[in-house]
Amino acid sequence: MASVEITGLRKLYGDVVALSDITLTIPSGAFYTLLGPSGCGKTTLLRTIAGFHAQTSGQIAVDGAPIETLPAHKRDVAMVFQDYAVFPHLSVHDNVAFGLKQRKVDKSAIKTRVAEVLDVVQLSHLADRMPHELSGGQQQRVGLARAIVVRPKVLLMDEPLSNLDAKLRVDLRAELRRIQRDLGITTIYVTHDQEEALAMSDIVCVMHGGIIQQAAAPLDIYLRPANRFVATFVGANNFLDVDRTSGGAVLRSGAANVAARISAERPVTCAIRPEDIHAHPPGTAIDPGRIVIEATMREISFLGREMEIFAVTEAGEEIKAVARPDPAIVALPPKSPVTLTVDPDALSFFAQGGNGDRLP
Amino acid sequence: MSLFQRLRHTDFWTGVTGLIVAVLALLLLFPILRVLMLGFVDADTGAFTIGNFVELFTRNYYLNGFKNSLFVGVLGTLGACLIGIPLAFFTARFHVQGQAWISTLAILVLVAPPFIGAYAWIMMLGSNGFMTNFFGLFGIETPTIYGAHGIILVFTLKFFPFIYLMTQTSLNGMNKSFEDAAENLGCTPWQRFTKITLPLVFPAVSTGAIICFVLAIADFGTPAILGRGFRTLSTIAFSAYRSELGGRPTMAVTVSIVMMAISMLALLAQRRILSKRRYASALTNPPVKQRMTGWRNTVMHVFCHGIVLIAMLPTLVVVYTSFLKTNGPVFIGGYGLESYERILRTAPEAISNSFVFSLGAVVLITVFSGLISYVIVRRETAAAGAIDFLMMVPYLVPGVVMAIGFVTTFRGGPLDVVGTAGLLILLYFIRRLPYGVRSATSSLRQIKPSMEEAAVNLGAAPAKAFLVVTVPLILPGLIVGALMSFITAINELSGTLILYDGGTITMPVQIYLAVLDGEFGLAGALSTVLLVCTGACVYAVFRFAENRDSAFL
Repeated sequence: MASVEITGLRKLYGDVVALSDITLTIPSGAFYTLLGPSGCGKTTLLRTIAGFHAQTSGQIAVDGAPIETLPAHKRDVAMVFQDYAVFPHLSVHDNVAFGLKQRKVDKSAIKTRVAEVLDVVQLSHLADRMPHELSGGQQQRVGLARAIVVRPKVLLMDEPLSNLDAKLRVDLRAELRRIQRDLGITTIYVTHDQEEALAMSDIVCVMHGGIIQQAAAPLDIYLRPANRFVATFVGANNFLDVDRTSGGAVLRSGAANVAARISAERPVTCAIRPEDIHAHPPGTAIDPGRIVIEATMREISFLGREMEIFAVTEAGEEIKAVARPDPAIVALPPKSPVTLTVDPDALSFFAQGGNGDRLP
Repeated sequence: MSLFQRLRHTDFWTGVTGLIVAVLALLLLFPILRVLMLGFVDADTGAFTIGNFVELFTRNYYLNGFKNSLFVGVLGTLGACLIGIPLAFFTARFHVQGQAWISTLAILVLVAPPFIGAYAWIMMLGSNGFMTNFFGLFGIETPTIYGAHGIILVFTLKFFPFIYLMTQTSLNGMNKSFEDAAENLGCTPWQRFTKITLPLVFPAVSTGAIICFVLAIADFGTPAILGRGFRTLSTIAFSAYRSELGGRPTMAVTVSIVMMAISMLALLAQRRILSKRRYASALTNPPVKQRMTGWRNTVMHVFCHGIVLIAMLPTLVVVYTSFLKTNGPVFIGGYGLESYERILRTAPEAISNSFVFSLGAVVLITVFSGLISYVIVRRETAAAGAIDFLMMVPYLVPGVVMAIGFVTTFRGGPLDVVGTAGLLILLYFIRRLPYGVRSATSSLRQIKPSMEEAAVNLGAAPAKAFLVVTVPLILPGLIVGALMSFITAINELSGTLILYDGGTITMPVQIYLAVLDGEFGLAGALSTVLLVCTGACVYAVFRFAENRDSAFL
């Protein structure tokens, strides 16, 4: 168990900024996820913590002790790799024992510790197998066992589940989280899968362009995204224009007056989550409290559990809604009119231009 | 970080890179630079001059050698293409009986000592050759093997495996959809072959052809044995070196520079042509072999097997003559082991030297190719790029040139090591290092970097991670590289011929001298010993290499 503190970390590749002034604190025992699209710097950050890249400037401290100048093999931060990196010439047992041997742990202790940890990852029966005899999921369990057996201060995971098939990914996700909680080990987890990030983490740190966009609990990230990027990347969002009138502000689509919600004079845009939009067949009675947006249906995708509605508002803006399948809607032919409604409380507003910060 | 801190943190691989650069500078760059500089020096005064090159391009003696080299180089390469491409096409696109046998024979031809072909053809078609005598009985005059056409014949039969193996690999890796699409768009089979298949294998063919051309230009043994007054640049360089012995070998060096320039220009031209032709494609639809029937099938089989058998003929003749009963240099009829007795009596040190030098070189090569491959593949520094580039150089520098570079660099002063075993080992090391590096490099490219990162992450220092994780994983590549460099080291002739002295004679040199003396029994026995070693290594490569054919290219 250890806390991690990163201060002003920068990493340049020539003129390209890979990491720009990364400052973050990870409390002891937390499951901290770096989330972002490819090229956002999340893997670079993880590998810099592991010591595989040298930072251009900045500090990394584990439990207050600086580690940024230590060579990678002395950092005591164990890593689980995306491609497993299970040594193909060593048995499962020897793979797990590898780090203990480097730490000169005596033989009998190695034996018991390897047995314990193989039990934790449910691989005891495969201890003598060679890696090529294991499935991908089993190999990744070896990768995990090998990392946690050395009792590292920090556990680093680089998209450990992305090479597995969907079903296994969900199973192993829960198991990883359970093991991490049981051991109470501070974990930094990299993923581009937002569902994974939201499901597993204590804190999600969204990165883009080498910059931290927002670091917060999963629910906060989803309900109160700090800026337009987070609002788009985590979950989906519709962005609708807000027109300024003399003394007021109205949604261009639906013409609802939103002046009360916007204090600043700067240009803003309104965001609505697709699941907050309801679609009604023509002629349905509408709750008067809701904002009404008349639109023309462009396409409906029926996905089973839900349906996706793509429509164009009368003001010409594209809009997407997600709802439980409604036979009356699914049956609508393309280009038929559809009424969309939204609860005024579900609107959020972001500044236009710049980082697109969220307005209070 | 302060400079002091940085020095303290100079890691293992930075040190290794420094060591590699130092070794390559001392054993490769420095000797070659010395050679290059000598070409611009007046033999008597030591002053700067371009007179040597003027002389080379004005005096007929040199000019003819220049033309002759190009002549046999181009025609030998062309000949190799003419038999190599059809052979590759047949074996890749049709069911040919004994396919493994054909490729094995082609590989044996490839690795057999280079000069064996030349003198075996003398035994068959020379002035007293058995074919000459046989046809003479019927009053038929066979064409003489001496001169340009003999050299071209030997080059053709010696170098076609490069074309064959490279083209075959390329044909086997070609997505069948291309040919299907051509047919679907209305091509006849012949149009499909000339308009689609041939252009698509052009990169492979041209790469094979460049290898043939460079080897043919650099080849010393064949023109030395078969030339008889037909001189090429390599034989001229060697005799110039011999006559300039003691003085500055300026003409030998000038000739060598021209040889290297030819090879370099050919390589650059090929790269330029290839740069516009990149045909990478996924092998989603692997080619399917067709069955040929009737007389076409017979002709195809006769062609395929005939080619490799004729190419193997010199080797078989050499082995055969080694078992002929001899009295001194004279064959006295019947069979016996006298030739083998004689090599044990007169030249045991040639055998032991060959093994000691080659094994010594192979140990160095294996250690360095492991380290160099890691630096090339895993480290993205300027030095790594430079080392990668330098690994091309030994292929392009003829043995004569490298050896003259060694002589001029290491002769005289307190460090006069010319003629010593150590220098020969270093010569083999630097000349054959690329074989080891290439094999190790291609092995390492298949190992994900996360392997070493995982080891380091778990607490192994970089050197230890390399030793306990990387080395076991690239071991097959290291073994194949060691075998390949052993095969090529133990067959080295031209460089050794310049650097050896009485105590450091090797088998190829002994064979060369025996052939010059007409001692064909002795030469045959020694060649057979070489062939057996080489064959054993080839067998071992088959065992260890993932793709047995491409390991030899």
